[in-house]
Amino acid sequence: MDQSKQTGWAAFIVRTRWLWLVLGLAVTVAMGTGLGKLGFNPDARVFFAEENPDRIALDSFEAQFSKDDNLILVMNAKEGGLFEPDILAAIGELTEKAWLLPHVRRVDSLTNFQHTYAIGDEMIVEDLVPDLLAVTPEVAANARKIALSRPELLDVMIDPTGRYGAMQVMFRLPGISPETEVPMIVEETQALAAQFRAEYPEIELRLTGSVMINNQFAVSGQDDGMTLTPMMFGAILLIVLFAFRSVVGVLMTVTVIAMSAVIGLGALGWSGVALNSVTVLAPLIIMTLAVASVVHVLASVRQTMMETPDRKEWARVALAEHGGEIAVACITTAIGFLALNFSISPPFRQLGNVVAVGVMGALFLTLTFLPALIAIIPMKRREALATTDRFMRPIAEFVIGWRKPLLVVMSLLVVALASGIPRLALEDDFVRYFDDRYEFRRDTDYFEQNLGGLNILEYALPAGRSDGINDPQYLASVKEFTDWLRDQPEVTHVRSMTDVIQRLNMNMHADDPAMMKLPETEQAAAQFLFLYELSLGYGMDLTDQINVDRSAMRISVSMAEATTKQMLALDAKAQDWMVENAPQIAVAPTGMSQVFNLIAYRDVRAMLTGTVLALVAISLLLLLILRDVKLGLISLIPNLIPAAMAFGIWGYSVGAVTLAIAVVIAMTLGIVVDDTVHFLSKYKEGKRKGMTPEDAIRYTFSKVGMALFVTTFALVAGFAILSTSGFAVNGDMAKLTALTITLALVADFLLLPALLITIDRRETMKASTPPRTATTTTTTAALGAILALGMLAMPNPASAQSAEAKGLAIVQEAERRDLGWGDFTNDGEMILRDSSGNETRRVWRGMNLERPAQAGEGDWSVIVFSAPRDIDGTATLTQAKIEPSDDDQWLYLPAVKRVKRISSSNRTGKFVGSEFSFEDLGSQEVEDNTYRWLRDEACPGLPSLSCFVIEGYPKNAKSGYSKRISWVDAQEYRQHKTEFYNRRGDLEKTLSATGHEQYLGKYWRPARLDMVNHQTGKSTTLLQSNYAFRTGLSDGDFNAQRLPRLSR
Amino acid sequence: MMAKHVLRSGQGAGAWGLGGLCTALALSTAPAMADEMLGADFAELRGEASVEAILFPDDPLFPGQEDQSLSFAFEPTGILEWNSVEGLGGADVTATIRPFFRVDTQDDARTHADLREAKVDLRFGDTDVTIGNDIVFWGKTEVDQIVDIVNQVDGVEGTDGEDKLGQPMVAVRRIVEAGAFSGQASAFYFPYFRERTFLGTESRLRNGIVVDGNDARYETGAEEWTPSFAARLAGFYGDVDAGLHVFHGLSRDPAFEFTSPTSLRPVYGRITQIGLDAQYTSGATLWKAEAIGRFDQRNLAFEKEDYAAAIAGVEHTLYGIGDSNADLGLIAEYAYDSRGSNALTPFENDAVIGARLALNDTQDSSALFTAAIDTETAETVLRLEAERRLGDSFKLEIVGQAFFNTDEASLFNSLRDDHSLRITLSAFW
Repeated sequence: MDQSKQTGWAAFIVRTRWLWLVLGLAVTVAMGTGLGKLGFNPDARVFFAEENPDRIALDSFEAQFSKDDNLILVMNAKEGGLFEPDILAAIGELTEKAWLLPHVRRVDSLTNFQHTYAIGDEMIVEDLVPDLLAVTPEVAANARKIALSRPELLDVMIDPTGRYGAMQVMFRLPGISPETEVPMIVEETQALAAQFRAEYPEIELRLTGSVMINNQFAVSGQDDGMTLTPMMFGAILLIVLFAFRSVVGVLMTVTVIAMSAVIGLGALGWSGVALNSVTVLAPLIIMTLAVASVVHVLASVRQTMMETPDRKEWARVALAEHGGEIAVACITTAIGFLALNFSISPPFRQLGNVVAVGVMGALFLTLTFLPALIAIIPMKRREALATTDRFMRPIAEFVIGWRKPLLVVMSLLVVALASGIPRLALEDDFVRYFDDRYEFRRDTDYFEQNLGGLNILEYALPAGRSDGINDPQYLASVKEFTDWLRDQPEVTHVRSMTDVIQRLNMNMHADDPAMMKLPETEQAAAQFLFLYELSLGYGMDLTDQINVDRSAMRISVSMAEATTKQMLALDAKAQDWMVENAPQIAVAPTGMSQVFNLIAYRDVRAMLTGTVLALVAISLLLLLILRDVKLGLISLIPNLIPAAMAFGIWGYSVGAVTLAIAVVIAMTLGIVVDDTVHFLSKYKEGKRKGMTPEDAIRYTFSKVGMALFVTTFALVAGFAILSTSGFAVNGDMAKLTALTITLALVADFLLLPALLITIDRRETMKASTPPRTATTTTTTAALGAILALGMLAMPNPASAQSAEAKGLAIVQEAERRDLGWGDFTNDGEMILRDSSGNETRRVWRGMNLERPAQAGEGDWSVIVFSAPRDIDGTATLTQAKIEPSDDDQWLYLPAVKRVKRISSSNRTGKFVGSEFSFEDLGSQEVEDNTYRWLRDEACPGLPSLSCFVIEGYPKNAKSGYSKRISWVDAQEYRQHKTEFYNRRGDLEKTLSATGHEQYLGKYWRPARLDMVNHQTGKSTTLLQSNYAFRTGLSDGDFNAQRLPRLSR
Repeated sequence: MMAKHVLRSGQGAGAWGLGGLCTALALSTAPAMADEMLGADFAELRGEASVEAILFPDDPLFPGQEDQSLSFAFEPTGILEWNSVEGLGGADVTATIRPFFRVDTQDDARTHADLREAKVDLRFGDTDVTIGNDIVFWGKTEVDQIVDIVNQVDGVEGTDGEDKLGQPMVAVRRIVEAGAFSGQASAFYFPYFRERTFLGTESRLRNGIVVDGNDARYETGAEEWTPSFAARLAGFYGDVDAGLHVFHGLSRDPAFEFTSPTSLRPVYGRITQIGLDAQYTSGATLWKAEAIGRFDQRNLAFEKEDYAAAIAGVEHTLYGIGDSNADLGLIAEYAYDSRGSNALTPFENDAVIGARLALNDTQDSSALFTAAIDTETAETVLRLEAERRLGDSFKLEIVGQAFFNTDEASLFNSLRDDHSLRITLSAFW
């Protein structure tokens, strides 16, 4: 580093101190205005990136069946069990009331269980407790007998003793304002529970389920923010006060670190991403890291003040002597955190980015704003050596004197500790993310101990064809699989439709117990199910068990208190079983638990790249700064072994670790490097001044020893406070980080000096090649172990299939049937008519490219106009995105040969003056709307065809419509008619599609679309012809820069 | 009659235009091509013919100038396309010819012809090759595009510098996809240089001292055959579209030297330019910027000077104003040139504000209003462009332009009485 340049820079900052004071504040305020934009996203699914294959599988599964946003009410009748007449009545009443909770979709309870039996030839389906007002002891006893005999209920809704029962409330969350929906449900449920407890004190009632989990993510996030922040501030104040004995110094520190946090968080606000239970820690991490920078400046000030009373000189010296190292330290820290972008879990990516911005903010403030403050604000001058500085000399002497034993002992210690790494077990269980300080965790444990498990593996067993689930052979396979699963000791409950179907068969045979088996023909199975569905009560349908086209059935396997390892092991067994016994139904499991099961495994692999890149970048930076290959290589040792040792210690002591582990190396790498940078650059400086290695070590300790000690202490204190979080992901991350940083200081103080002296001694004794020491070998071994950990083989998940509500399922089926067309070209013509019938025309050529189903992307299209003639050659390229993202769109103007990116935020504008708005013509993706099936009826204009009538509600507020109603035929899933309702809710336009033709034997396209605007009397006819599919178009044909070439 | 005018104009541009036309004719009549022509997969002949009247309300400043001008323009385009031509490695081939002619009844300088395009495009997968005369646009901003260096300005066509002369070139372009970046890298070789066209003594809207474009001087031995080279990388990454370029060769912007006290001649010298243009699309708001650094360019004082120039601005569109279908775009841009008053461009320290109204009716009616204000001298140019389609194949365009604060020191001093109204009626087929 060029010392004179640094001195000049320092003098410049001090001279223009007022400017920097104002500038620092201005930057903070400017970034800080982003704070107002911060929201909080409590959804547990924030941990799953859109592109996470497990999440894609889960989304697809939930689309076919149902998204299980549920609440479980666990009941315990303290005496005598639940099957007392008054208690059953109370449960019945609670069931009725639960139907009134917000966003309720379905309530399953003991009392409304759909019981089937036969009276003669007739099958009866009715609630287990049909009349809540007349629950006699006989009815109750009968209910008990039935409930305890039914596999659908036993061990999930009722325990074998009849004491513990559960009620399950399913919700359909609109997802419009995630920060209020869940809390609202929880609030109302808790009110309902309180009322129930007051009325029936003899019944114990507890709440759990996925809604409670989500709520818990929000609660613990807020908890962490509220309780940890003041602790953090307190700890920092104490440390700085103790180290420097200066109130002004403390105030300066607090100002700078708070401003840094504001800059980081403000950036998050500006980026429009909501906080979540991980990023809520970002301000605390930023402040902890910022303290380290500030302390270096203050420590230097503390030393300079002994020599001169000139405050400006204090600031100048601090900047000139430490500015470079502080900058390097901050930049390496930022690199480490930026590496978190490789994580598969978005909260960690966001955390990395926010902290990186905050750290760079801290760097800016430490190098400008802080020196300005020091030069401006009077600080009490102390002329005695600081207490902590006095500790440094003995440490230096100890290390120098005992370096050989230290080397041996430290090397052995590193090997011993790192050998604990293989003991680490990746363990992600969203229930056990929260420790038992939370009521949610206690209630959930209670549920799992007495009834079922919240950890559920979902198998959507494919039947291979529509209506295939009625195939006797398929049903037999499913039943065998169900029975096999029930034989597994870790499984508490298996939910399978085969139970119902067997019972229906018995009912249809006059309740003959011998007929408690699967129907023998496909026809019988279909018929029984049909009869059963017809008789089911409101909201009790089978759509969450069987998908819409009846090509798959769902099996839900519950396990209580199962670990990730146990679940993966069970699935491995299940896969073996399926391959051997029923390969046609073999499918990979999904479900929230399964996504969490695999997330750490995926993240460790994903972060491997990030960590290696960060290591390379940071090492190169160090080489550049130290300008010394030998020192650069040596620096790897204290940079890497702390993490290896910390992981090893964790492996021996705790073992189980959450996905937080994946990001720890990258995170800590950037932090621990700081110590190494400060240490090595001062050591090199000492050597340059002609000192012996021993004296250089003494010099280094005296210059930066105290600062390193104080910063490490502050960092460890900060992360130790974070580690008290009741949320295991954050807790693990903080604990591992604190441990790593502590070990880094140990390595820097005890191992690094010994290493440096030993190597430099040998060199002076003409042993020219630096030997490969025991420590380097160990490091390599430890690194290898970490890498190996990441490679741990785990079963590969495959995606599942099917629907949620019928509407969505139909739309998805329509979409599914239109998948795989690849590309097509066609000719388009629009005939625009005003209310008096005057016509004008638009003519174009179109090119369309189907994009593989990737998150957030829609299809690509190019339109080249040929009439009216004055716009001949004008072309547009659209690369569609899923709502609410705007599409990417370019316009080519042939007159000036210009390609221009244009805004596509205008959804409601009219396409070339027609009655089609941009959103009508844009690529319509399933995810753009939410749907509701209304009814089935004859198709408009085609009475022989039956049509689904579906209502769709746009998710994007910019849409011009409040809803669309579409008629889709049940045979080929073609759209025949769509009604568009404007934002006021009035019918605005009707679109009719006619002349459908099928291409490639699969894909239907209408030849003619007529859009009539009822409000204005105008209409537009769109004719599309000359379709050519799979013409070999590629991405390169849809490149904006190529539009001039495409336009002809 | 057109041809006669072309021959009579005798300007460099005209001569090249004719030369190019002959080349194209020779190409198209070559016997080998004749069979192919019959086998073309696509053929089209289209074009535009227009009549243009310019009215000047104030009396002319210089003798020989008139109060109005009437002219006719003709621009046919011929296209032939062959898909997957075996002999050319399966390339898709497009041949385009687009000559341009204008006949002005008052102003001989404006009577001219040019080959805007006469080129063959070859496409091999992700690679495109262009050989011949072509027009290439670079840039992002609205009012002026400082990065747009490939084509020479057709100085007699309009005053806004948006009309360009066809440039002979060999261009190779290749699609570049790297992660989330998608774009195209291009390399250009320009074997021949096009001289700028200048208005004559009888032209309105001309400089006080007439530039004799035919008397151009070159600072390179090869003169107009001095080759130029350029490379460009352009594309987009997320919401950012950007282009980077480097150019080495003859400057399209001439410097001027006096040949007599009343006459200037253009001087063309070799320069190197690097530049960047970028646009960030944020919903309805487009943020735009262009910047160049140019080396060895002679300035207004005829001194070689390295300089930098930049334009930055924003365009925000209000959709569906007042519940109608009309969109209103608001434009604000600022142009800076480090040469200050020695700049060869009027945009050396200027703010431009403007509004673009698009009615989005079936006739595509639209209007653009701009005010360019020099932040130092307060010179102001107001401009209003409005256009509307009539029927299916006609278009009416009206452009009004006025100059203010055009005092003695101003570049626009000689334009102080040249407020104008231009009315163009075009027919398309």
